Amino acid sequence: MTNALTILFCLTLMYLAVTTRLSSYVLILVFQGILVSGVYTVSFFENFSAAHLVIAGAVLLFRTILIPTYIVKIIRDLDMEHRDQTRRYHPGFLLQISGVIIAALLFSYQFSRITPVLVIPLGTALAGICSGGLLIVRRRLLLAHVIGFLIIENGLFLLGVGVKADLPWVIELGTFLDLFVLIFLMGIAINHLKSHFPEGAGEDLTTLHD
Amino acid sequence: MMLTILLLLGLPLLSTVYTARSRSLEKNHFATLATGAGHLGATLYLLLTRQNPFPTRAWFGLDPLGSFFLLILSHTFFAVALYSPGFLQRMKKPEYHPSRWLYYPALNSYLLASTLVIVTQHFGLLWVVIELTTFSLVPLIYFYRSKESLEAVWKYLFLVSLGLVFLLIGILALGLATKGAGAHASLVVTDLVRDAAKLDPLWVKTGFVLALVGISAKIGLAPMHPADIDATSNAPGPVAALMAGSLRSTAMLVLLRFYEVACHTSVRVFSQRLLMIAGAFSILVAAVYIWRSRDYKRLLAYSSVEHLGIITLATGIGGVAMLGALLHTLFNSFGKIALFFMAGRINRDLQTRQIDSVHGLMQRLPWSGFVFGLAFFYIIGTPPFGLFFSELLMLRGMVHARDWLVLGLFLVLLMIIFIGMSRALLRMLQSPQPVGLPTGKPLERFHVAHAVSFYALVVSVPIAILRPDFLFGPLRSILTEFGFSL
Repeated sequence: MTNALTILFCLTLMYLAVTTRLSSYVLILVFQGILVSGVYTVSFFENFSAAHLVIAGAVLLFRTILIPTYIVKIIRDLDMEHRDQTRRYHPGFLLQISGVIIAALLFSYQFSRITPVLVIPLGTALAGICSGGLLIVRRRLLLAHVIGFLIIENGLFLLGVGVKADLPWVIELGTFLDLFVLIFLMGIAINHLKSHFPEGAGEDLTTLHD
Repeated sequence: MMLTILLLLGLPLLSTVYTARSRSLEKNHFATLATGAGHLGATLYLLLTRQNPFPTRAWFGLDPLGSFFLLILSHTFFAVALYSPGFLQRMKKPEYHPSRWLYYPALNSYLLASTLVIVTQHFGLLWVVIELTTFSLVPLIYFYRSKESLEAVWKYLFLVSLGLVFLLIGILALGLATKGAGAHASLVVTDLVRDAAKLDPLWVKTGFVLALVGISAKIGLAPMHPADIDATSNAPGPVAALMAGSLRSTAMLVLLRFYEVACHTSVRVFSQRLLMIAGAFSILVAAVYIWRSRDYKRLLAYSSVEHLGIITLATGIGGVAMLGALLHTLFNSFGKIALFFMAGRINRDLQTRQIDSVHGLMQRLPWSGFVFGLAFFYIIGTPPFGLFFSELLMLRGMVHARDWLVLGLFLVLLMIIFIGMSRALLRMLQSPQPVGLPTGKPLERFHVAHAVSFYALVVSVPIAILRPDFLFGPLRSILTEFGFSL
């Protein structure tokens, strides 16, 4: 079941490569949030622990409701619905993401021969982290960068599952809270950037250099 | 013991809440100053008595390493708290109004978050609280509400958070390393050191590399330094002093926690080499950019990259050099307080950050010019200031280690930096006023910032010469904890 959910996560990364609309990015975030929460719920059934339930609930709350709602609010406040496209579609991005997914899965398979890890979740996690990074590099819109960062965070969460890391649940909740505050602050910054750079919502941050 | 915990953690929390609710800047100042004094008092008490106020085998604890870094934080914070009312008094433009109200709550929350970083012994929790220091700095860096400060704060928030993602992966790797350590394995530093022999070296190595890459953005080590440079150079003087004097040191402590674990495993030599490479590369980058910089606040920010590079390099060498590195961390924080306080005053009075536009500082701003000049001689390591002695210890360590290549490279790069900084800062201090510009009465009077900066520079002299046991005792214990001997 965990493998099925993580393969679906890989498919969201492929969709990320072919879409350029901000609204689709938010949908991807919601769907990834549900999948990540699902992975945790599955662990809950496999290994009964109240902590798993708390974390799955927190993932669902933060990653599928609070953060996407906040991003939609930013899109509306900044009137970005009318210029939803982050840039023109480019097939090269799809090729890059596909390459990243294949490379990550191959790496994970090789790694599993050295140390006990879950091959598909680990490969998917690495692909998620790299794809989020690629999105940040390939898109100039700051909100797309925030979404890239969130995809990296989703990948990171899956990484914890892939390598069977066992962090105390209080700390896991702390990381969610940190993430939420971070996105909140980034949202405020984007709002302020809009007033300073009205023409492009801060797409051209190149004032500071040596 | 409960009282010291309350002074270290409870007081900053209370002060954060109070200053966020209070509508009087004067009361906020006194609350912050009292918090700083209480925090410094508790830190000195713990350093003198060498006590750990926290229960043993818990997520929180104060070891000699923590006590030493707590002193750096407390001292810098208290200096900033002393200077803050004078700074805010001049910030009366309407656009600064929201920033003035956010200033003290952010400052107090920074103290709370940084103290938590220092006393936290669990790597997972450490990640949570180090992110809090980033959040608390956001309103402080964005104080001027200009395009530049907004760009700086965005880059800082984004790049440091991305760096911390790597740090978290490093922590996960360290968690994996404990799989072979049995049921008692945990991510608490003391447990990891105790079980070091059972840790998987591959995962410790992976964890250390990722932690170094991740925390570099916060320490300001090259090549992850740009966001830190932008933030430090665009923040107001006291905030820049706080960042250069304490934030980078606190981030360095996080790296040292990883290093402490690695030092007890077979990864020790690997981690030493890695630190040396990272340190040397940072000094090299600083040497290049100090020559290129046309903005004196950016130049001072690059000086921080240089000094953190020196500290990292010497930490990698170990032994006497590491003793020098620890002392250098303390003395660097003293120097950065003076330099950034003065840079902030020069910027405010002369309305420019361009090196070429500042002339005759000693005549126009005699107090700031004098202290700035003194701070310049301090930061380049002139005797009898503290940095001279810490650098001497590092050189001794390099000679002991017979690392002639590193020693040669270190000396050449220091020479290049010395000439580069002298070229820029001595011109600011001594060059005559261009014809046409008004000359006349000096623009300033003696201010508390001058007194605090002067004290910060001078206090390093007796510490370096007399080597008081309350400070050097813990330093020797730190070296023993890392497995080094003098």
